[in-house]
Amino acid sequence: MKSFITLLIAVLASTSAWTWADTVTYTNLIRQVQFPTGVAWDVPVAAAGTQLSQLAIDPGGARFELWAVKSTPLTNYLLNSVYVGTYIPVATVAITSEDPYSIIPRTRADRPFYVDISVGGLLSGATDPVPSKSLKFLRHVQSYGVGGTGINVDRTQATLLTQTSLATNGSQRLTFLVNSVPGADRSKVSGEERFSMFSLADYQAPESQLASQFIQIWPVADGSISGITTGQLIRYTAPQVTLTVNNLYPNSTTYAQVYKGSPNLGEEGTIVPGSSLVINDSVPASRVLVVKGYESALAEDGDWTMELVTKTPFGLDRLAYVTFKLDRTMKMNASFTTTE
Amino acid sequence: MTFRILCFLLPLELPDLMKISLLPKWGVLAIFVATPSVGAAEKPVMRDAATHEQLVQSLRQADQANPMKQMKPATGEDPSLVNRPQDLISQSDIIAFQGIQTLVPKRAVLQIPKKYSDRVAAQPGAKVVSWADFYAANRSWITTVEVSRTQAEGNLALPEETQKMMTKSGNLLVATYMGGPISLLPIKETKPAETKPATTPKP
Repeated sequence: MKSFITLLIAVLASTSAWTWADTVTYTNLIRQVQFPTGVAWDVPVAAAGTQLSQLAIDPGGARFELWAVKSTPLTNYLLNSVYVGTYIPVATVAITSEDPYSIIPRTRADRPFYVDISVGGLLSGATDPVPSKSLKFLRHVQSYGVGGTGINVDRTQATLLTQTSLATNGSQRLTFLVNSVPGADRSKVSGEERFSMFSLADYQAPESQLASQFIQIWPVADGSISGITTGQLIRYTAPQVTLTVNNLYPNSTTYAQVYKGSPNLGEEGTIVPGSSLVINDSVPASRVLVVKGYESALAEDGDWTMELVTKTPFGLDRLAYVTFKLDRTMKMNASFTTTE
Repeated sequence: MTFRILCFLLPLELPDLMKISLLPKWGVLAIFVATPSVGAAEKPVMRDAATHEQLVQSLRQADQANPMKQMKPATGEDPSLVNRPQDLISQSDIIAFQGIQTLVPKRAVLQIPKKYSDRVAAQPGAKVVSWADFYAANRSWITTVEVSRTQAEGNLALPEETQKMMTKSGNLLVATYMGGPISLLPIKETKPAETKPATTPKP
């Protein structure tokens, strides 16, 4: 049992390595709450590492709460909580996606994700306590709303989508082809899906969280090219073009490219000078770029296509395109006459 | 893009190189070349950004393939809303002094002398620090009372000696267990032994 608690604190401490969008400092602490007495003990912990809980767990178990406290204004954030009991099973939940971002699992509204769950310590004897024989596995969804980033989201408002019961030990990977975060436009949903394991209630403690993990879902980007219209004839100076891009993925590079000919998905062209936009953030971004003086990218006369492309961990996506005609040939109509 | 090692067998007729590396006449010269790995060598496929209509279709398929549908459904109210950890601040006492403050569990502060009563409250703008850091900076007016788990649970009274010290101390007293602040429950009252009411024999 003791070694089990060691493992638990390692998990909690590793979660404390959260990074925050702003530069405000946070103080982290673990509070161990004993059941059923309610005795609370603040565990002295280092910023990272592993240690044994020095406070023995009562028969009713204990809940380990990882908190971050901000000084100004005085605010607390519950980062994680795990319930541990003498006969309570051990569970883990881990979520991965095609995005290797390590801080918080995340993906895009059109992409799949994977949930790895494992359960150990379940008993099956006729006289074993009910909470030792099975646990609950839950799936919650929550929208951040239009333009929401998830900061200060109230997770008690999440919708319980599915509630299942697990009664066998082991590990399995669950594949979700696409998210179920609520939203009228499926390409623009932003929010999170949370998967968690809960113990069953008995006379010692109510249903308590054993493991939990969430994945953030960010919208599909969209964009437009204005300042140039389909079929437009361009003579000597390329017109100023405005590139408008919305909901760029937090890890993305977006640019406009031109190539000779009609639109051809997958064609690799010349990047329009001054059109590259690199986003390396924790939330999506929207931008407006004005591009001009890109004649050097247009090598010769003919039909041209300009595309707005975004590159993400999921591949290349074309957001918009426009075709135009370039004719820089100067024709002179002249005649010679001679007189004597 | 990943780095792969390209190995070439080269006749090492470069005396300087041999002196330096002590390689045999035929050695393997490893050259690090930035080349795409096998998977990444394939040019990423470009597609048009997914639309709402396409994703509605994807969601239908995802619902049909939902792996949780294969599991045994459970009933009952949402357990994530029951027994949820309460707000930390409301469940703590805050001790503040000279620009720093810390949180300790409710019932961990055992005694607040009148002269320090204004220090057991949040100070706007004060920096939150760990208990260890706060105590280290304020040992002159804070005394810790180390308790056992049994005492913290209210199953055993504090020793008389400790109780005397608490009475005499003019410091703020905080209950700790292994150095960390802990709530100290009041001593549980022992129930008086039940006495059976006298029964009068029926005539």
